[in-house]
Amino acid sequence: MSQVPDINITLLATPTLSASLLRLADFSTLAEALDYAAQGESGANFYAGSGKLVTVFPYRTLREEARTLAKRLLSFPLERGARVAIVAETNPDFLRFFFACQYAGLVPVALPAVIHVGGHKAYVNQLHGLLQGCRASVAVSSSQLLPFLTEATEGLGLKFVGAASAFDDLPVQNIQLQASGPRETAYLQYTSGSTGFPRGVIITQQAVMANLVGSAHGLDVRLDDRCVSWLPFYHDMGLVGCLLAPMATQRSIDYLDTRDFAMRPRRWLELMTNSRATISFSPPFGYALCVRRLRPEDIALYDLSAWRVAGIGAEPIHVELTDRFSELLAPAGFNALAFVPSYGMAESSLAISFAPLGTGVVVDWLDSDDLADNFIATKVSPNTGSSFVRCGPVLPKHEVVIRDERGNTMVDMHIGRINVRGPSVMSGYFELPEQTRLVLSADGWLDTGDLGYLIDGNIVVTGRHKDMLIINGRNIWPQDIEAIATRQPELRSGDASAVSIPGPEQEDVAVLIVQCNITDLDEQHHLTQQLHREIHEELGISCLIELVPRHTLPRTSSGKLSRSGARKDYLLRRKSKASHES
Amino acid sequence: MTEYQRIMADLSKGLAPYTKGLFEVDENTELVGDLDLDSLQIMELLLFVEDSFDISIPVSILPDVKTVGDLAKQVEKIIGHA
Repeated sequence: MSQVPDINITLLATPTLSASLLRLADFSTLAEALDYAAQGESGANFYAGSGKLVTVFPYRTLREEARTLAKRLLSFPLERGARVAIVAETNPDFLRFFFACQYAGLVPVALPAVIHVGGHKAYVNQLHGLLQGCRASVAVSSSQLLPFLTEATEGLGLKFVGAASAFDDLPVQNIQLQASGPRETAYLQYTSGSTGFPRGVIITQQAVMANLVGSAHGLDVRLDDRCVSWLPFYHDMGLVGCLLAPMATQRSIDYLDTRDFAMRPRRWLELMTNSRATISFSPPFGYALCVRRLRPEDIALYDLSAWRVAGIGAEPIHVELTDRFSELLAPAGFNALAFVPSYGMAESSLAISFAPLGTGVVVDWLDSDDLADNFIATKVSPNTGSSFVRCGPVLPKHEVVIRDERGNTMVDMHIGRINVRGPSVMSGYFELPEQTRLVLSADGWLDTGDLGYLIDGNIVVTGRHKDMLIINGRNIWPQDIEAIATRQPELRSGDASAVSIPGPEQEDVAVLIVQCNITDLDEQHHLTQQLHREIHEELGISCLIELVPRHTLPRTSSGKLSRSGARKDYLLRRKSKASHES
Repeated sequence: MTEYQRIMADLSKGLAPYTKGLFEVDENTELVGDLDLDSLQIMELLLFVEDSFDISIPVSILPDVKTVGDLAKQVEKIIGHA
C-alpha cells in the first residue's frame, strides 16, 4: 500500500507566519527585500526525492551567507555589473550566489542544469554558448556538474570557474558592500528561445520589483500563505515566481528538485498536503503529469484544501486538463476555483496577467472557422468550436493592446499580436540591439509575439509565437530540430521541416519531415536512428521522423521552406495512409 | 551470475515494455537510438532503476550513458559505493 512518506521531523521547515509586518514587495531592490525578509523567521526549505526535508534555509541565514559570499566574490576583482553564471540546480547554493550578486552589485545569470541521456557534448555546447552570450566573468556549479562547466568554459577566459564550495576559500574583503541599485540590472534571464541563438533578457531592479508588486497584489498574498515549487530556477516562473516572489513577500517556500518531480510527480501533492501550502504554480504539463500518475488509492492521503492559488500558465491551457485534475482531486479537497490561469514571459519579468482569484478556469468557446479565416473571436455555444482560457486583466500600471500586422490597434474580440507596456518590461536583450529593436519599440511597447484578443479587459491567448513547439512543458524551436537534420552528411540545408501536430491528448507532438534521395532501407533506418538520437541528446524530446523524396517539401513564393505547408502535407499523407490501412 | 549480469537482467526486464515486442534488450541496446525513449520515459526508467536497486542516480551520469550496458555499469558503480 502506498503512503505519504514520513517527512522527517528532526529538521523543522521554516514557519511562514512571522512576527514582522507583511509587506507586499514594496522595496526598491531585491537586496532591500531580502534585508526585510531576514528580520522574520520564514525562508526556503529543500526536500529530497524521498520526500525528506534536507535543508532549512531561513531568509535570515540566506542574507548573512549571501553578504559574506559577496565580500569573497569581490576579491577577484570584478567590475560592477559583471556577470556571474550559476548552473541552477535546486539547492541553497543557487540562492546564496544569486543574492551574493545582489549585495555585490554583480549580475547573476542562471544556466540550465538539465542534461539528456547521452547529451554530454550537446550540454557542454549549450553552456558554452550561454556563457559566451552573457560574457560571464565567473561561473559556478555543484561539484557534480563542474566537469561539464569546466569543459564549457574552455577558451572563454573567465576569471574563475569552480564548485560552490571553492568560493569559500576566497578571502572575505573588508569592504562596505554597495548593493545593486534600483536602476541597475538585477539579473539576466535567458529566454527559452532557440538554443542556437540564446537571448539574455535584461531585467533591472525596478522592473522586477514592479512585477513582484503586481503579482503580490494580483495573488492577494496573505500572512498565512506558503508556497511549494518544483520549477527550475533557470526558468522565469521558477526564478521570479517561486523564489523572488515568496522572498519579497516574506513567505516560506518548500522546494522539490525538478527531476525528482518529473520522476515522482505525486511528491508535489504530498508536499502540498504536509506543508498546507496555499500557492503553487506549474505549467499545464505538471498538472498533466500528476493526472497521469495518480493512483486512486493515493487520493485519500492528500489534503489540498489549503491550496487557494493553483497557478497555471507558460503554455496553452486546455480546460479538459484542468477539469480532469479538479475532478480527480476534489475528494482531496482541491477546489477547482483555485486555478489561476496566468500569462507572462521573461521579457516582462514574468507575470503579465492573472485571472481574477476564485473564478477558476473561464473559457471562451469560439467559432473555429471565423478564428482561422477572419481572425475574429465569435462566441459559440459551450463544447462546440475551439476553446480558449481567459488569463485575466493586465497587471496594474501596465497596458495591453492587440495589433494587426500593420501595427493598428484592434478592438475587442479581434485577434492580433499581444503588445504590452509597463514598468515590468525588460530593458532589452543583452548586447543584441537588433533583436531588441524587433520586439521593443522606442515608446516602450513589447511585442510578445503571441496572438490573442481582449474581452472585457481580459487577455485571451489563442496562439503562440509562430512555429514554436511546446513539448512536455519545454519550448522547442523548429530551427533547432532542422539544424540537427541538415548537418547530417547525407542532407543539405533546406532538406528538413520541423512542425508540431496534436497528439491524442491535444499535446504537441514534434514531427521532422526530411527530404532525401536515400532509397536503401538500411540506410534510411540508420539516418532515422541517428536523428532520433541526436534530437534527444540536444533537445530531450522524441520526435516522429518521416523521410520523403527530394523536392517534396513545399516552399513559399519567395523560395523559403513553408513549415505550415509541410505540416499540412504531412497530415494529408498520414490521413491517406490511415485510410489505406483501414 | 556477476553483479553486472544481474543488473543487466533486471534492466532488460524493466525495459521490455518499451521494445513493443520487436527485439530483445541487450547491453548494446541504445536507450534513445533503439528504444526511442523520450525524456518522460527516461524519468520512468530512472524511477524504476532507483526503486529496484534502492539507489539514487546523480544527474551527472546521464550525459555519458548511451546504451543499456552503460547504465548497468553506472548502477554497478553506485551500488559498489553504497
